[in-house]
Formats: sequence, structure tokens, C-alpha cells
Amino acid sequence: MNKKLVAGAAVLLLAAGAFAIPRAITYFDEPDVQLVDLAVGGAAPDFTLADATGRQVSLAQFRGKPVVLEWNNPGCPFVKKQYGSGAMQRAHAAAARDGVVWLSVNSSAPGKQGHMDAEEAREFIAESGARPAAYLLDPQGAVGRTYGARTTPHMFVVDPSGKLAYAGAIDSSGGSDNPAAPVRNHVLAALAEVRAGKAVSVPTSRPFGCSVKYG
Amino acid sequence: MAHGFVPTLRLMMLWLALVTLAGGARAQLPQPGKNAIAASLVPESRIVVPGKTATLALVMKPKPGWHGYWKNPGDSGIETQIAWTVPAGLTAGPIQYPVPDRLLVAGLMNYVYKGDYAQLIDVAVPAGVAPGTRLPLRATVDYLACTEEVCVPETATVALELEAGSAASPDRARFDQYRAAMPRPLGSPARFELKDGRFRLAIPLPASIALDEPYFFPLTDGALDYSKPQSVSRSGDNLIVETAAPAGAQPLSSVEGVMKLNEDLGLSLTAAPGAVPADGQPLSANASGVTVATVLAALLGAIVGGLLLNIMPCVFPILSLKALSIAKAGGDERSVKREALAYTAGAVLVCLALGAALLALRAGGAAAGWAFQLQDPRVILVLLLLITAVALNLAGLFELPAITAGGRLAERGGIAGAFWTGALAAFVATPCTGPFMGAALGAALVLPAALALAIFAGLGFGLALPFLLLGFIPALRRRLPRPGPWMGRLRRVLSVPMFLTALALAWILGRQAGVDGMALGLAATLFLALALWWVGSRQDRPRAWLPLIPAALAAAAVIAVVPTAATAPQAAPTAALAAEPFSEARLAALQQENRPVFVYFTADWCITCKVNEKGALQSASVEKAFKDKNVAVLVGDWTRGDAAIGRFLASHGRSGVPLYLVYRPGQPVEILPQLLTTGMLISAIAR
Repeated sequence: MNKKLVAGAAVLLLAAGAFAIPRAITYFDEPDVQLVDLAVGGAAPDFTLADATGRQVSLAQFRGKPVVLEWNNPGCPFVKKQYGSGAMQRAHAAAARDGVVWLSVNSSAPGKQGHMDAEEAREFIAESGARPAAYLLDPQGAVGRTYGARTTPHMFVVDPSGKLAYAGAIDSSGGSDNPAAPVRNHVLAALAEVRAGKAVSVPTSRPFGCSVKYG
Repeated sequence: MAHGFVPTLRLMMLWLALVTLAGGARAQLPQPGKNAIAASLVPESRIVVPGKTATLALVMKPKPGWHGYWKNPGDSGIETQIAWTVPAGLTAGPIQYPVPDRLLVAGLMNYVYKGDYAQLIDVAVPAGVAPGTRLPLRATVDYLACTEEVCVPETATVALELEAGSAASPDRARFDQYRAAMPRPLGSPARFELKDGRFRLAIPLPASIALDEPYFFPLTDGALDYSKPQSVSRSGDNLIVETAAPAGAQPLSSVEGVMKLNEDLGLSLTAAPGAVPADGQPLSANASGVTVATVLAALLGAIVGGLLLNIMPCVFPILSLKALSIAKAGGDERSVKREALAYTAGAVLVCLALGAALLALRAGGAAAGWAFQLQDPRVILVLLLLITAVALNLAGLFELPAITAGGRLAERGGIAGAFWTGALAAFVATPCTGPFMGAALGAALVLPAALALAIFAGLGFGLALPFLLLGFIPALRRRLPRPGPWMGRLRRVLSVPMFLTALALAWILGRQAGVDGMALGLAATLFLALALWWVGSRQDRPRAWLPLIPAALAAAAVIAVVPTAATAPQAAPTAALAAEPFSEARLAALQQENRPVFVYFTADWCITCKVNEKGALQSASVEKAFKDKNVAVLVGDWTRGDAAIGRFLASHGRSGVPLYLVYRPGQPVEILPQLLTTGMLISAIAR
């Protein structure tokens, strides 16, 4: 009996020791939340979320059409600029007209800036005149982290075959208001190329804006 | 909650503001027109000299809880934009950013400034401006101010008026402070590798530089995943940073960034693609990341490490014989337990004593690591003598009661014998700790002293653990083989690993103290062996130990004379050149004396400087040539970013070290290349 106890303890100690001796020391606490990085050209991960009307929406049901994912937080000044100027609403409308599925995703955690329940989301849509195909609620941040969404807005374009065609900023402004620099809307340009069956000329860019308010 | 109200966007923002207000004053949204980060423009000197460069500071003061962003803001945020309105001919340079901090919020990494900070901007004043001309400058600055909850893009209009004049009156103290926060140019080329989803960076840095939470801030986007932890290790004179690359990372032709070494020092660098050496010695963990889990893991690691030491060639013989002596001692349960406890106490106390000495050394500023005592050839010599004596004892040359428990002493005082055996085992084990214990002991060195000592004690406890178990579990004792004549044979066999350990120690002694030191050490060992032989031959007589006295005296004499220079840290690198500390006043005085002056600027973290100091600057022919010409040598150490030296470097068009200057009477100053050769130095002063 004693012998078994001792042998067990020794094995446990040795096993624990193997983990206790790291190869090199890591220089800050591991982030409590790990964001996944998606490679453009790879499959866009499927997901299912409830939208503002309570309906379950999954990415896979739109296979065959281009899909835009827009990370949204109505409280973020960079998002407000897009909606305040009407640019985002025009993009929604153009997408609907062209057979593109536009999904707005809100990954703000409860208590954080931009978090909304279904009713508040419906009011936001009505108030702002937004016309996404669906406004999806992701309060746990699971889909945001799967896509590595970092900022609001952070934009993704999925081509009709379900592959990720674009990931990054909404436009080339870098978030600044400098009127001298011409601004290219990376999302609309990528959509045009996807619909024309061409390779996306700017497949990635650096997203700018507020950080996504994960919990 | 308030379900009845109909929120417009504005109402919702108000609600959000109230929620965040309730969450604490630091999340307060700024009042319209009052920025969360106040920006202002300050000149180093209001009077500027035409044809020269003037430095301005864009001073940013965030409200408590708010932060501003570095040039590369990290996972979110935007870069500061500045649009100038300046008189014709005037040009404003790019924004120079101080070394940033990092802020990890919900898995997103931001590169930020949490307190007040100043960004410097150089303005070139055209040569043709008439003195007295007023030069109004205006700029619109767009930047992002955030708390952990909200972000606000802000715009500030800053303005100031400079005046052309003949003499500037710089605001030294304030701008010295601003410049001290800037990264310093590394000078040497770094290399990076993007392979298999990993980003690896090799930065040439002298191994002696102390680091505290080193972190690489990349300026180049797409080189590494900002939010992933970075691990830093040392491989000789290279610092290796390794972290995850972003998914689908594209090949890069260069990577720029700032390597922050500690709170006061960041080095700006550009890395070219190239081979990066394998990870080297891990660095110690940062104290701020200490959690109960890491302490427990380190403690467990120390105990396991101590346990593993039992099978080391230098410890195992001592130990197995002690175990056999317990087996031989037979039935007395209480005395066996007492012996086991005494042995444990000996092992733990020696580990604690070594640990405490190590912590004290480090507190005194020495860069000592575990087994620090092995860097002193005198300690190696003591260990060599000790191990040889133990080996000769095992080989049967003489009987040592405390170790074999065969003599009278052990029968009378088994507890003292056991204590000293434990102490001996722990002391002898230190050379073996390295490979197994590096990380756990490394962690111990940055923990608070009490926790660190607990880890050292854990090491001793682990070493003593098999004994404790033997002492307290009779069933284990019964499993030990029966005593018999085979024990004598085993003892002699076990002397072999001990002799091998002695051989290894002699080799280390040779490495540290040279051939002469090794010969002295071996002579002392031979002397001790002869004395012990003599002791053994008269063991049954009274005062059998007398012959050891001359041997001990001889050993003490050798210890006193064995050269230690080989291990002394690199002494003042230019001892040969008799350098004086640099000051502009001293330089001027030497020039007045019509003496040729060689001035050089160095820093501990500059590997090019160190190479030159160990090579050309230390060569005998340079020393002779300098002496023949009566050359004075001034050395400026910029390790701590001394402001006066910084200004002097800037006045010679340099932002960093090394810088080598030759002043010859009546001739313009000559700037030598950054890589010196002996011939170059000699011909420079001969002209």
C-alpha cells in the first residue's frame, strides 16, 4: 500500500516537473482571450448567431453568394463616422441590390461600449437607416475571436465558394480625416472583383478603429 | 433596466456615458472641445539660428485613465497625423516617438503611452532668414485617445512663434528629459526570420546587459502577431526574440522596431532577413507576472530538480552509501528518523545559504547566476580537493566516519554525521544543478526574496527526499538489499564517477585559471592525496589526522595564489589606453595644451563598441603609438543616455554610438569609421 503511494507520488512529481521547466520565459501574461488569425484564401469558418429579430443565421446558408462581415459598435467614433455620413448605409443598399449578403456583427460584451440586446439593436437599425441582411449579436465574442476581429469597423469578404477573400480595414483612410489623400473603399473594391470572378487586388489591409469590446 | 425609453442614437450614447460613468470616473467621456489628451507645442529654444535645426516637442498630457498611441498602435487604434502650416522654406521633419508601453485589453494588444509624453519634431530653418524675422508655426494634430472602454479621435490645433536670431537659448533640462525617453539607435544590424508561423529576431547585444521585461515593439506591420506572448532568450552576444507570426504573413524585406530592454532603455533597430541562431539561455521571468501558479510550478520544479540531483555522478556515491549505512544500522526506528531529518536539514541549509549569498550578490549589483560560486577558481579548487578526498575515501584509501558510518564517530554522533553528509551532498551537487534547474532557479532570482529562498529550500528538500522517504517508510528500508561484503566492492566502483567529477573540475580550473592555475591545483590535489594515504596507513593510531595539517596549509597557500584574473569580468576595456571620462571642458583644455586627443563614445549595449574595445583599442601597438605621440584619450559612456553626450553626438551628426574622433592640433577633427582597425588608429594619429 505504502509502496504504491510513494511510487505514485514520485511519478506525479516528475510529471509536474517536466511542465515546470519552460524553454524560455515568456514576457507577459498570456492574453486571457486568444484571437485566431485567418489566412485570406482559406475557408471562412462557419458560425450560427441570433440576429436582432431572434432568427438564427448561419454563414453556410449563404453559400453561392458573396458575404460581407462588418464588425459594428454604434458607440465607436469610427463607426459613427461611417454611419453619420451615410456611407455605410449606402454600402448596405448597394450590396442588397447586387445580391451580396451583408452581415453586421456586434461582439461587444454586456456592460461594454456598444453592447445591445435584440430590442436595442432593432432600434439602432431603425434609427440609423442601416440595411444589413442581418444584424447579428455575438455578446460572448466567440465569432469575433474566430475571425480575429480586432477593430470596429473590421471588414471581411467571403466569396461565393465560402473562401475568405478580404480581411482588413473598410477603406484606405487609416482612420484619419486628411482630405488630401484619395480614399479607396477596400470592401467595395473587393466585392466588385469577387463578383467579376477576379482575384482581389488588395486582399488584406490593416484594420483601424476602436478595439472590439470583448468581455 | 430602463425598458420603456426609446433611445435615439444620442440618447443611447448618453446612456453609455452614464454606464461608463458609473463604472468609474476614469472612463469619463471628455467634454466637447476639451480633449482627453491635451496637446501643446513647445520649442527647445524660441530663438532659432538660420541654417540650423531646431527641435520642437509635441507634449501630450492624457487625463488619468486615458492613453495615446505609438506610431504603430498595435491591434487597434490609429497613427497620429500632423498637418503643418509653416513659413516658406521651413520644413518640419517626422514625429519622433518615445519608447512606448503595452496595454493588453481583452486579448487585443495596444502600443500606448499611459502618462504624459513628448514627441519630438526637428524643424530645419533656412539659412537665408534675416535675424529678427518672426516664424509662426501652426499644426493640426489628429490622434486617438482611448480608455480601456472607449476611444475618441481628437483634433488639436497647436501653434507657436519662433524668432530667427544669432544665439539659441535652449530649454536644456526639459528637452534632455524628453530625449532620454527616446529609443537609442542600436547601431549594429539585427536579423529576422519568418518561418513556420514563427517570427524570430536576433539582436546583437553584449551578454552582460541586464534586462527587465524585454519586449520588441514592431514598427513594421505584418511581421508578428501583436497579441501573442514574446519569449526572449540569450544566445551568446545575441538576444533572441521569438513569437507568433500573423497568419498568411508575407515575406518582408526588413523589419523595423524598438527593442525595449527595461524601463529606461529602448533600442531602435532595423532587421534584415537572415539566419537567427537557436534559442539560447532563457532569461529569468518578470516579477510582475508572478502568480501562485508560477511560484508553485517553480517550487515543484526545484523539488524535482533536487530529486534528480540524487542520480548525478557527484552525488550518487555519497548518497547510496548513506542509504546502505541506514540499512546496516538496522532496527532502531527513532535514530533512523532522526538521521533522515538531520540529513535533510543539512541539505536544505546549504541550499538556503548558497541561495541567500546569491541574492545578496545580486542585490549588490553583480550579475551572478546560480552556481555563481563556480565562477571563482578558488571555489573550484576547494571542490576539486573535496571531491578527490571523497573519491579516495570511496576507493578505500582511508576511512571517513561521517560518510561511511563505519567508524566510531558515526556510532556516537550519527546525527551530526548525517547533517554534514546532507550539507556535503548539497554543496557538491551545485555544479550539477545547471542543466536541470536553470529555469526554476532563474525564476527564483526575480521573485521576492522570501519566495526565492523557498525555492532554494525546495531544491535542498528534493535532494533529501529519497532519504526522508527511507527514514520514514520502514517498508522501503526493508526493500534495501542486505548488507554484506558486496558493499565494499560497490563503494570502490562508486569512486570512479567521483574521480571523473574531479577530472571535470580540474578542467574547469584550467579554463578559468589557465595552465599554471591547473598545475597548481593538481599539485595541491596530489599533496592532499599523499597526506590522506598517510592518514589511511595510520588510521588505527591516535592523532591519525595530523598529516592533514601540512596538506591543508599547502591547499590554503595554493588558494591564495591561484590566478583569478581569467574570470574577472571584462575590466575597464581601455586600461591600456589610460582613458579619462569625457567632458567638453576637458576636451577643450587638452586642445589648449596642444595635445592630440582621441575621443570615443561607447555604451554597454553596443556590441560594435565592445568589439572595437577588445580589438583595435586594446592592441599593444596602438598603445605604444598613442604613448609616443602623447595622445590623450577621453571616453564617453552613453549607456545611461547621458544628455551632455547625447548633445555632443548630435552636434557631430550622430544619434548613437559608437563615435570615434581624432583631434590633432591645428587640424579639423577627423571622424573615424565605426569599425576600427589597429592600422587605422595608428595612421590617424600619425598624420
